[in-house]
Amino acid sequence: MDSKLLEILVCPLCKGPLLFQKNSQELICKADRLAFPIRDGIPVMLESDARPLADDENVSQA
Amino acid sequence: MDKQTHFGFQTVEESQKARKVAEVFHSVAQKYDVMNDVMSAGIHRVWKKFTLETSGVRRGQRVLDIAGGTGDLSRGWRERVGAEGEVWLTDINSSMLTVGRDRLLDEGYALPVALCDAEKLPFPDHYFDCVSVAFGLRNMTHKEVALAEMLRVLKPGGKVLVLEFSKVWKPLTPFYDLYSFKALPLMGKWITDDPESYRYLAESIRMHPDQATLKAMMEEVGFVRVDYHNLSAGVVALHKGYKL
Repeated sequence: MDSKLLEILVCPLCKGPLLFQKNSQELICKADRLAFPIRDGIPVMLESDARPLADDENVSQA
Repeated sequence: MDKQTHFGFQTVEESQKARKVAEVFHSVAQKYDVMNDVMSAGIHRVWKKFTLETSGVRRGQRVLDIAGGTGDLSRGWRERVGAEGEVWLTDINSSMLTVGRDRLLDEGYALPVALCDAEKLPFPDHYFDCVSVAFGLRNMTHKEVALAEMLRVLKPGGKVLVLEFSKVWKPLTPFYDLYSFKALPLMGKWITDDPESYRYLAESIRMHPDQATLKAMMEEVGFVRVDYHNLSAGVVALHKGYKL
């Protein structure tokens, strides 16, 4: 999916912006410290499927 | 203890409903379109066509298709808004969404897709001109929460379209019941070897709010100028509402 379109998505919980991490294919909410996976080209925007960020995990600006 | 809700005629804990609905759609995804044609004798196509043609959706607009599943409405939206518009195909069920995404790709439409829960939409406020949900609201655990989310992502003046099974005209009820509770599970058994999923379908339709109740629910959430149109004697109703 076009990364411009990915930029439209917001965090389903706080509705804040997400950072697209190309390498890990994740969309990250820094406020909720959650990483939403992109699986088979489909962003999975469910809290139940999101990966909680580790306490010391740094999120680089894309 | 968890609050209770209905799953067809069964009472289940609220936290279980989404999982049970997911099982139904993982099970039927591959044969969903065939079953729709068989069960409705192809009439579901007419219902969807009516939804598209009375939508007023125009070239260049943004449309969100919730519970878009195998993509019937999304295709129609894409044809209406053109390449300069934007149509998001979304569903909470990965099996349904994958079938829909791949089918539209085969037809030459690469639409943006997202797996999401209609009660927690991953879209910004005031973004869409139209939000549609066809045969999806019935399966949602907290319908008012989902409707409020649809309202949030709509632009002022934007509209929601809810196509859903509804309450059939009273004189037809005995025939409709016979069809739903005897014929449907049989067809489900022959075609998909999954009569339980189609029993859920028939039961969930009976538990869904009728035309007036859904209209009131939409008004309660904040939609204005809410109205509905019965199709096939109320087997299905199309509700429309606007954001101020």
